[in-house]
Amino acid sequence: MTNSALHMSNVRKVYRMADTEVVALDHAELTVASDEIVALVGPSGSGKTTLCSIAGGILSTTEGSVTVGDEEITAYSDKQLTVFRQNQVGFVFQSVNLVPFLTARENLLVVDELGRREGKPARQRADRLLEELGLTDRSKNLPSQLSGGQKQRVAIGRALMNEPKLVLFDEPTSALDTELGSQVMELIRSEMKSRGTAAIVVTHDERITAYCDRTVHIIDGVLAA
Amino acid sequence: MFLALKEMARAKTRFGLLIAAVGMLVFLILFQQSLQNGLLTSFVGAIRNQSAPVLVYTVDGQRVIQGSVIPAGLEQQVGANTDVGRIGRIGLGTFTAETGDGERFDTTVLGYQTPDLGAPTELIAGRFPSAPGEAIGSDADASQGFGLDAVVTIQPGGYELVIVGLARDVQLNAGPTLFANYDDYVDAVRSVNPDALDPLPNILAVAPAEGVADTELVDSINAISQDLDALTRTEAADQTPGVSQVRQSFQVIFLLYGLVIPCVTGLFFLIITFQKSGALTLLHAIGAPVRRLVTSLLIQAVIIIAAGFLIGLAVYAPVSQRRLGGIPLRFETNAVIFWAILLMILGTGSSLISAKRVLAIDPIEATTGGANQ
Ligand SMILES: Nc1ncnc2c1ncn2[C@@H]1O[C@H](COP(=O)(O)OP(=O)(O)O)[C@@H](O)[C@H]1O
Ligand SMILES: [Mg+2]
Repeated sequence: MTNSALHMSNVRKVYRMADTEVVALDHAELTVASDEIVALVGPSGSGKTTLCSIAGGILSTTEGSVTVGDEEITAYSDKQLTVFRQNQVGFVFQSVNLVPFLTARENLLVVDELGRREGKPARQRADRLLEELGLTDRSKNLPSQLSGGQKQRVAIGRALMNEPKLVLFDEPTSALDTELGSQVMELIRSEMKSRGTAAIVVTHDERITAYCDRTVHIIDGVLAA
Repeated sequence: MFLALKEMARAKTRFGLLIAAVGMLVFLILFQQSLQNGLLTSFVGAIRNQSAPVLVYTVDGQRVIQGSVIPAGLEQQVGANTDVGRIGRIGLGTFTAETGDGERFDTTVLGYQTPDLGAPTELIAGRFPSAPGEAIGSDADASQGFGLDAVVTIQPGGYELVIVGLARDVQLNAGPTLFANYDDYVDAVRSVNPDALDPLPNILAVAPAEGVADTELVDSINAISQDLDALTRTEAADQTPGVSQVRQSFQVIFLLYGLVIPCVTGLFFLIITFQKSGALTLLHAIGAPVRRLVTSLLIQAVIIIAAGFLIGLAVYAPVSQRRLGGIPLRFETNAVIFWAILLMILGTGSSLISAKRVLAIDPIEATTGGANQ
């Protein structure tokens, strides 16, 4: 039993295209403690999304090893990675986060429906999350009927539905104004802390880092504390 | 189930229109199936559903009863063949017949010598003729004055036939058709044209001798003379000029429908899969196995085909009980089952093209939103 939520060791990621190679991540060493919130700050194109994708089992590494909780996922197959994502991590993506033809509540429930299929406990968890996120009276609304801040809160709820060890937030506030951004960050912090869940929050806004336990900088694929 | 049904519930118009389109095509297919069978039955039902197992035409007749005339010499030669068990004459005349309420119809009268050599195999009402001037009618004509106990007058000449029995599917050439004893047929011909000689039989109805198969009898008779053209009952019906052309035309139509339905559903699923690829990518990225996403797609395809089929069937059922321009239609149970299975296979099969797209989803696109642009 390790007590870190994420351990990345000497991770390198190279995107190969027709005639060029982009080194998106180089010799990345990162450990996130089991209840720690880490801010990942860096300019656009520095490799933040790449790092999150690797930590979340969406992307495989070119070199190095990745361990989430007790699971070493480096050599996982696509199928194993799908099951891993289903059970161990939560995502809030930069762009599309909600299924447009499902209501707020259904966007949470779909995680269970297409995953573990717990049924009633999952429904209770969804309702509790919606309440915590202040969305109870919006639970029957479709994403198109929600404001940006509300959508982001639904996405946070969805990311927590599978009770993950690690949640990856890729620029969760970039589409929100400062005021709303702070509210969402407060919510993220309280949700993480009340559950003792680890998180990486990607941002290029230094103000966001105040809500995190620690800040890691990234420039051109290289991490610096 | 969850995802498939929720999506359909949220896009009712879209899915509803597709179901309606499938329903309309299903109706057209089944309707044309009834039309084809009704058409063929009204053309050659009298041949298919008469009792003689083998019919002998002359080659000159080109498999049309009216065109064939059997001279006495050939009739004797056939009768002398040892493979022939029993033999009878069949004569055919087309007359103007007047019904009880004064309406006139071009009517076919088929004369047979014995009921098991050329009369309808089965009656649905009444009895076989037992006295001169009695005839069997077709139930398809019953409503036009050819019902049970109706008296039909052959004009000019005023020869009367009373209908004492009715049979199903025994029309010839899609018009009123009567079966009478051969002598009555001859009397009818004479009444119209008193100066004519006795007509020769048009074809011969034969049954094989003990231990001889129908096809053996056919070969045996055809070997007698180059002028004879013996056919089994089924062959005689199917090889009547026009029958295979009608079948082929309908087959082309069915083939086109068989292609249109999978094209419509396949294209539909391709479009909606493309439109929701962002959502599918997101779901796969958060751990939904692609298998589940594909299942949800197939469930939708099955629901659409099933619902469309039921709608088509609901429209078809009452229409299939009606007549179309004198052609009685019928509910074709076999066609319904055949098309239900075929369309289910084609419809779900066509959605597999979209399934391939779903299987190819790369979850990384969820991080860039690339799939949604
Ligand atoms: N799928 C890809 N193919 C090729 N290059 C990529 C791909 N994804 C990202 N990159 C490149 O990798 C680098 C890091 O990208 P990314 O991790 O998205 O940065 P950030 O999230 O910090 O903006 C960039 O130079 C980007 O162009
Ligand atoms: Mg990014």
